[in-house]
Amino acid sequence: MNITLRLAWRNLWRQPRRTWLTTGAMVFSNVLLVFMISLQFGMYRMMIDNSLQAFTGHMQVQAAGYKDDHKMRQSVPDAVQLAQSLRREIGLDTIAVRAAGFALASSEERSYGIQVYGVQPDFEPRVSSIPGLVKRGAYLANPVAAEIVIGSVLARNLKVDIGDELTLLGSGLDGSFAAGVVIVTGIFDSGIADLDRNIAEMPLAAFQEMFAMGGDGHEIVIATQDLFDASRIIRQVRDVLPSGGDVVVHDWNALQPGLQQAIQADMAGAWFMYGVLVILVAFSVLNTQLMSVLERTKEFGIILSLGLTPGRIGRLVILETMLMGGLGLIIGVAIGGLLTYWVGIDGFSYPGLEDMAGQFNLSGRIYPQLSVLSAMIGPSIVFVFTLLASIYPALRLHWLHPVEAMRAA
Amino acid sequence: MSHMQSVVLCAVVVCSPASVWAQDATQIVRDAWDHWRGLTSYAEMTMTIHRPTWERTMSMRAWTEGSKKSLVRVTAPAKDRGNGTLMDNNNMWTYSPKVNRVIKVPSSMMGQSWMGSDFSNKDVSRADDVIEEYTHSVLGTEVVDGTTVYEIEAIPREDAAVVWGKEVLKIREDHVLLEQRFYDQDGELVQSMMATDIREMGGRMIAARQRMQKADTPDEWTEMVVGATEYDIEISGNLFTLSNLRNPRD
Repeated sequence: MNITLRLAWRNLWRQPRRTWLTTGAMVFSNVLLVFMISLQFGMYRMMIDNSLQAFTGHMQVQAAGYKDDHKMRQSVPDAVQLAQSLRREIGLDTIAVRAAGFALASSEERSYGIQVYGVQPDFEPRVSSIPGLVKRGAYLANPVAAEIVIGSVLARNLKVDIGDELTLLGSGLDGSFAAGVVIVTGIFDSGIADLDRNIAEMPLAAFQEMFAMGGDGHEIVIATQDLFDASRIIRQVRDVLPSGGDVVVHDWNALQPGLQQAIQADMAGAWFMYGVLVILVAFSVLNTQLMSVLERTKEFGIILSLGLTPGRIGRLVILETMLMGGLGLIIGVAIGGLLTYWVGIDGFSYPGLEDMAGQFNLSGRIYPQLSVLSAMIGPSIVFVFTLLASIYPALRLHWLHPVEAMRAA
Repeated sequence: MSHMQSVVLCAVVVCSPASVWAQDATQIVRDAWDHWRGLTSYAEMTMTIHRPTWERTMSMRAWTEGSKKSLVRVTAPAKDRGNGTLMDNNNMWTYSPKVNRVIKVPSSMMGQSWMGSDFSNKDVSRADDVIEEYTHSVLGTEVVDGTTVYEIEAIPREDAAVVWGKEVLKIREDHVLLEQRFYDQDGELVQSMMATDIREMGGRMIAARQRMQKADTPDEWTEMVVGATEYDIEISGNLFTLSNLRNPRD
């Protein structure tokens, strides 16, 4: 084998320019794959994190059926206590209770239908980025005050500012009229149009009072470190919840099914492009190896007549390809990895990205996420296809007749 | 419309060709609405909202004048007493004593439920749409307990801004509306209103009990029961005003 390896290596450099050109194609595609796949991974992670961190959290405890119907009566009893025992049992303090209701919000001049949330001012900042995005005024501080924080678009629509009064009108849990006057203390700007236009937050206790909720809540939001953590913690949450199935926990995928779908759709498009790239590289390798075998017909004829088996020569050809593919893999991953790492430091942007990114709750800069997986998956597939491409040239050797081959030009 | 006239009308309906029917169908609907409402009216009602797990009853008083103006005020339960709704020309205002404010209901909210019931704000405020925005034709007649009942199909006009694809009405010859079924654009039944307990009140035969029910959730309904009613009463000029909505003088 050792001699075959040496032969293969030497054979490669009998035509250095051709070898470098083919390797170059592999390097180019590998760099591209490493960068693009890392970029995609980074983008998906951001899509998920940004969407979930904004408001939804990684999972929510709700009354069964609430996720689909969003009826006020589908509430979680004694939600504050339940959240407290969840915090204690799981050892996580990124857990907050919310209650939600539809209300007509009116200023002096205008009225809009909005979704009002009762939140725990102490805990809400730990599960949602909205409290941190209050651009004017301040986030809720007093847990019982009749105060409200609204989105920037809603504030503009209602023509209200900090200190102005808003009248809320809706239906309480018992079907009675829910009404109250609240003072706008903060205006947030999340950049997510849906939230900025439709959402308002007020202290949970004040909300429960206004909407006749008693001690009930609608969602207990749980945020975790990352997605991997979430799947572990959701099992712990299930253990803590009272049995009977009235109260259930939903993961982020159930809460925001659109997110997973958007990722899958994007992925399908990307994989198609990568597939085309890999196949092009494979054909270029096939072409090179076929040429290199054909031009050595006479040489192979001589070796065959000296007693070497076609299988051995076939292995030589495959080994040549493997060396070339390995070279392309190492150089490609090295350059691709460096490039990705370098871009990942400051992130990058291109014209129009900001608009597109806005739809997925992303900022205008993308940070590629380099990992062993994202760096190796593309180049490995290229390597495998390269080897597949060398099978045909290697097989051809079996049909070679030594005498005819030696007479070839 | 006198009794004599309606007899004539019935005769015309039965004997005339289809083109005349369309016009008369509209008249039948219009008569039914005028009959229910009078020139002016006053009613005391209770509204029961029924759901599989709970039920809630409210009492209210309502005044109407013509087809455009109405005022509804909640009298019970005590918690909700004083809440009111004023409708004037498809505009709607609501008043809540808790906040002591009159609020105009924006048009984007007109599809929302009225006081938590199965009636939408639109159902309550634009009750005239079925006359003005639709074309009508008589589907058939039947005789129930000796009185003729017309089944009338109402199709929205091309340019009508209505949510329904079709409505089918059953109207008794003495102008009592027995049934109103609402269909979507695909011809699927969405909800229906059934009137029962027909008796004389305030000098007219009216249905004391009207139940609105969504087609796909049979155990969710809202029922309006009229306790007392008066027709063609004197109504003071400021009844249908915002200041009266806020500070009742009745």
